[in-house]
Amino acid sequence: MNYSRPDLLEQLAASHVLGVMRRGARARFERLCQALPIAQLARQRWEDRLLPLALALTPVAPSAGCWQRIQQRLGAQPHRKGLGWWSAAAAASLVALLLVGRLTIWSEPDWQDRAVLATADAPPAWRLESTADFGEISVRSLNVPALPADRIHELWILPVNGGNPVSLGLLPASGDIRRKLTAAQQSLLAAAAQVAVSVEPTGGSPTGVPTGPVIIVAEVRRPI
Amino acid sequence: MQARDESFVGAKLIIVFKWSLNPDRFLLRIEDMDQGRAHPLDNQELELLLQRCAARDRAALQLLYTRCAPQLLAVLMRMLGTRAAAEDVLQDAFIRIWEKAAQYDQIQGRALSWMVAIARNRAIDVQRGGRPTVVLEAADLAGAEQLRVVGPADGAEFSATYQTLQHCMDLLAAAQRQCLLLAYQGGLTHERIAQSVGQPLGTVKSWVRRGLQSLRSCMES
Repeated sequence: MNYSRPDLLEQLAASHVLGVMRRGARARFERLCQALPIAQLARQRWEDRLLPLALALTPVAPSAGCWQRIQQRLGAQPHRKGLGWWSAAAAASLVALLLVGRLTIWSEPDWQDRAVLATADAPPAWRLESTADFGEISVRSLNVPALPADRIHELWILPVNGGNPVSLGLLPASGDIRRKLTAAQQSLLAAAAQVAVSVEPTGGSPTGVPTGPVIIVAEVRRPI
Repeated sequence: MQARDESFVGAKLIIVFKWSLNPDRFLLRIEDMDQGRAHPLDNQELELLLQRCAARDRAALQLLYTRCAPQLLAVLMRMLGTRAAAEDVLQDAFIRIWEKAAQYDQIQGRALSWMVAIARNRAIDVQRGGRPTVVLEAADLAGAEQLRVVGPADGAEFSATYQTLQHCMDLLAAAQRQCLLLAYQGGLTHERIAQSVGQPLGTVKSWVRRGLQSLRSCMES
């Protein structure tokens, strides 16, 4: 079966999430999801799309023993007991810290997760966040793949209209960066479904479009 | 009057004393702070709880259970028919959520979708593991048909998705809509749906396929 056909993957993912597949076909699709990130992504999209059908059902309170049985199965974990005055003081400091934290957060822009940049076979390399209006991005380095000394990673918007990728700048090898976007970058990113990472000469692509291998294509997350 | 005031102060002191002895007090504080801040199924908060589960924080799992178990149980009871079977699967689901929480970080979907999928997948395994599935009768079908997508259940952010899905479900032909609800909410296979609605298997398969296609193009437009 040719799994690179997007319509076929969509069909399989939808049937899996809906639950109409037979056992063999279900298991095959689950294996496919582990091997093919695009299949996994199609499945997640359908899980999100159909979630309201689950939420349409009226919640039912579980019986009292249900949580206890989960705890028993996980194995008893000792409670911290009787730390007395010190723990009350620690709790008070924690609450104070949380309050200060919230006050600080209030003065910050509202950062939203936009994409996890990961190659197919490795843990996430970067996490991309942006402000709600896409006016500023923040990139956090996680497990950045190693590169020769004369190469660097560059981040690109893949415009929805299929036009040339537009650079969002160079990616850090470690640490976090923040970058204000131009109005043009902002509107392209706001509309984009995907971003990509390519390997470029130090200083970035000399031509304004990716010249080296594209190692990551990631979906842009937005509140649905 | 003074005596009453004193006993009132005394009662408050006892409550404070009991609170300071209560090993779950941190949990209670977190819950108190939650009140009125966001919907219990708010995606960002569920994501934070899953991160804490990944860091082996058992209190986070309990909070996750408090918030999500009633909705998951509703889904499971609809699929499995009895509370006993549904609660067994609910327990399995939370064990798996605890075990797999670290993997959620690499998932791009919503936290609740991920948890619902874990619960539904387990229910489907149980359902198809040999136990005959209940064939819904005409009366149940009428109920399924009347089910409406109501919301918002996940704060303002999610209400748009709710409305979109409701709008798109309403645009489907009645037979397609009914098949999709029987499959997703009832957990029925093509064959079982065909038995339930009394139509040939091929017809039901094509209703489901076309229903899903229409739903997708409607929700993406």
